[in-house]
Amino acid sequence: MIAALLLVVLGFCAGLLGALTGIGGGVLLTPILALHFGIPIRAAIGTSLVAVITTSAASSSVHLQRHTTDIRLGMTLELATSLGAAVMAYLVGYFNRNALEGLFAAFLLYSSIMILSRGGKVKSEDATQPENGEIPPYEPKRYPLGLSASLVAGALSGLLGIGGGPIKVPLMFIFMDVPLMVATATSNFMIGVTAGASAIVYYRRGDILAEIAAPLAVGVFMGSLIGARLAPRIHTKVIVYLLVGVMLYLAGHLILHLWGVKL
Amino acid sequence: MSQMREPAFDRIVALVLRTGAFGCFFIMLAGLITGLFLHGEIPLQIERAGVLLMLATPVVRVIVACFLFFKEKDMKYGWISLGVLLVLMLGTMFGIGEH
Repeated sequence: MIAALLLVVLGFCAGLLGALTGIGGGVLLTPILALHFGIPIRAAIGTSLVAVITTSAASSSVHLQRHTTDIRLGMTLELATSLGAAVMAYLVGYFNRNALEGLFAAFLLYSSIMILSRGGKVKSEDATQPENGEIPPYEPKRYPLGLSASLVAGALSGLLGIGGGPIKVPLMFIFMDVPLMVATATSNFMIGVTAGASAIVYYRRGDILAEIAAPLAVGVFMGSLIGARLAPRIHTKVIVYLLVGVMLYLAGHLILHLWGVKL
Repeated sequence: MSQMREPAFDRIVALVLRTGAFGCFFIMLAGLITGLFLHGEIPLQIERAGVLLMLATPVVRVIVACFLFFKEKDMKYGWISLGVLLVLMLGTMFGIGEH
């Protein structure tokens, strides 16, 4: 019972941080489940995927109502992200635990360095609100590049149980000439199907633990709703550094765990 | 073509996602509350239902979009949606990799 309550709190914090910073909470959930709740990393990935889908569905419905989501572009790129996610989720069944924990630690270190090198800036201001309701006309370009990069983003999502927004947003914005607010909304829209494609595979393998996923999803859902309300009023830079601190701690802990050091 | 948006289309897809997310939230909450009073299989079964609803939400979203594209005679994106649905179904067929 206390474990369930702790999971609600953990989900709440991850959802809150995710909504405030624009960095998905899945990055934190998987290593915390693996390190502090004694859940095998593969089940930790599968279980946090459920929380990722819940958040994406809730926030994406808000973007859709603002009409900033490009459903056609999203659906096209989902061909590649869901294929990458499903195939990688299947392959993960053949990875051993150490390889997965090592990959996850490397990903956390890489993300932390990327955020720090940008001076703690993770999202452009007001990227999700259309200015005076107008979206400039655009035509997505470079579909072959977009589809190939989406395949990689999907594979990473299936491998680590994350949404892959940090890849898809710059891909659409910089390389496909899509306005930033549309890129942000469309990336969010795609996360549900991408995570869903791999979550189905994890579920069939028994890697989604309902008794863990339920309290986690309840917490994440409430945390991200409140976070989305608070986001415009909160100075996010401090929170981003807090998040980087947690990510670095988790990366270090994972590496120590790999070496067999007990904390 | 891509920047063309139909408000009704967005609203229907948003409705599917919101129903899934809120439905999942309340089912899982019900599972947690049941768990406070009951032990054993019943709370777990409720939580499993919540997980299944969450897994079904993206699939339903693709099916609904696919249907809407074909209804609008937007064949290209109808087929693309069908392709995404096929990939999702692939996962249900080749999901096992237990070792």
